[in-house]
Amino acid sequence: MMPVWTKSGKRHAVTLLKVQDCHVLRYISKEESGGKRPLLLVGGKNASPFFKSEAAMEIFREAGVPRKQKVTTFSVTDDAIIKPGTPLYAAHFRPGQVVDVTAKTIGKGFQGVMKRWGFKGQPASHGQTKTHRRPGAISTNKAAKVYLGKKMPGKMGNIYRTSFGLKVWRINTKHDIIYVNGSVPGHTNCLVKVRDSKLPTCKDCNKNPPFPTFFADGDEELPEDLYDEEVFQFTEPSVTYT
Amino acid sequence: SYRISSDGKPAKFQPPPKPVIIDKQKQKEERRFLSPEFIPPRGRTDPLKFYMERKDMIQRRKVFNIPEFYVGHILAVTTANPYASEKASRFVGICIQRGGKGLGATFVLRNVIEDQGVEICYELYNPQIQAIEVLKLEKRLDDNLMYLRDALPEYSTFDVNMKPVSRLDHEEVPVNKLQVRMKPKPWSKRWERPKFNIKGIKFELPEKKMKEAQKWSQPWLEFDMLREYDTSKIEEKIWKEVSEELKK
Repeated sequence: MMPVWTKSGKRHAVTLLKVQDCHVLRYISKEESGGKRPLLLVGGKNASPFFKSEAAMEIFREAGVPRKQKVTTFSVTDDAIIKPGTPLYAAHFRPGQVVDVTAKTIGKGFQGVMKRWGFKGQPASHGQTKTHRRPGAISTNKAAKVYLGKKMPGKMGNIYRTSFGLKVWRINTKHDIIYVNGSVPGHTNCLVKVRDSKLPTCKDCNKNPPFPTFFADGDEELPEDLYDEEVFQFTEPSVTYT
Repeated sequence: SYRISSDGKPAKFQPPPKPVIIDKQKQKEERRFLSPEFIPPRGRTDPLKFYMERKDMIQRRKVFNIPEFYVGHILAVTTANPYASEKASRFVGICIQRGGKGLGATFVLRNVIEDQGVEICYELYNPQIQAIEVLKLEKRLDDNLMYLRDALPEYSTFDVNMKPVSRLDHEEVPVNKLQVRMKPKPWSKRWERPKFNIKGIKFELPEKKMKEAQKWSQPWLEFDMLREYDTSKIEEKIWKEVSEELKK
């Protein structure tokens, strides 16, 4: 995570996400998937082909792409279908867009009720016998049962969670890095899924993106760094107020 | 006539010693200073992240001069302030701490203004900073001068309109071996304990208290191999990279 300053002098914290060897693997039509929209399978980071069965490797062989560590589905509209085998780059997103980031949270193992659900526990002294971090009562008398989904100790973390509405401040096309506002679930160097935001307040922000994606062999020549208009670039002199 | 040694034989002709030429230019170049925020901390982060940060830091240094300074120097910092008249505010103080790595590197300046101790934490790469001037170059015996909060206020007062002290010799930064006198206890931290390893305080505590403080010493820490982090090679690589980029 890094700081980023705007031209007005405000400081924001930013997470760096690297787009590493992403390729489109397969197109699944609406009828095949049984949903409302067609799906596109996208694979992330390259991995060794020796530790998976032949059946699993079939998808990668068809697309003509080395084996990927993670495969995710994106539901797309009909006009955004991409041919399997095309590489995807960080320039698919532009500064100013708003994005949702999904990842597996850091696993904390088996945790008690105070850490997992934020219960208050019991006092440390004043006669408490062997009861300082316990849940206390788990149901009422009238119910005569414990409700389904009662908050109790158990395995915490290592589940998929999404942070919504993260603004993209900057994109580096040379190293394929996206600078995203705020924090993102997951540990350092974990695999992360980045989608256009579904929030209704952000519909205006995502206008005129590179559609259906940014093609590297196209005519468009992008500069190495793309900044949002508000971001203070270090080539400029210090901020002054008038 | 030649000298006759105790043996009675004439001594062999000893040529005069060769003159040693001290090349001041070379000596200047040999002294390298790499700002501590360039050195990446130990961890499992991708080195690409540190490379991107370093690029930004070098870019900022090309536009804005950040002078070489250590803890103990007296600096004057002017920042852009929308609420001040003339839109700029100047603060003079002694640097008591340098923390953080990368773009978020900070330094804390302390001064006593009208009998009120003031400490301001500035970010080195904040674009609102207009100028950093070094008024007095002076290293102290410690890396962290937080104990000045519990020292007598005279050690933290510096004149706001102080003129920069001129230094002709660019050889070495002088070390001030000042031993600071403290206010009576209680202090904000127990500075006599070996954990802080402070050499710049004149402890006027009784011998018994000093001996009791040594109970908390952990002499095995310096031999702990897992805590070793040798930065010499990393420093050299980064120093080469940074100096080449800045010369362009």
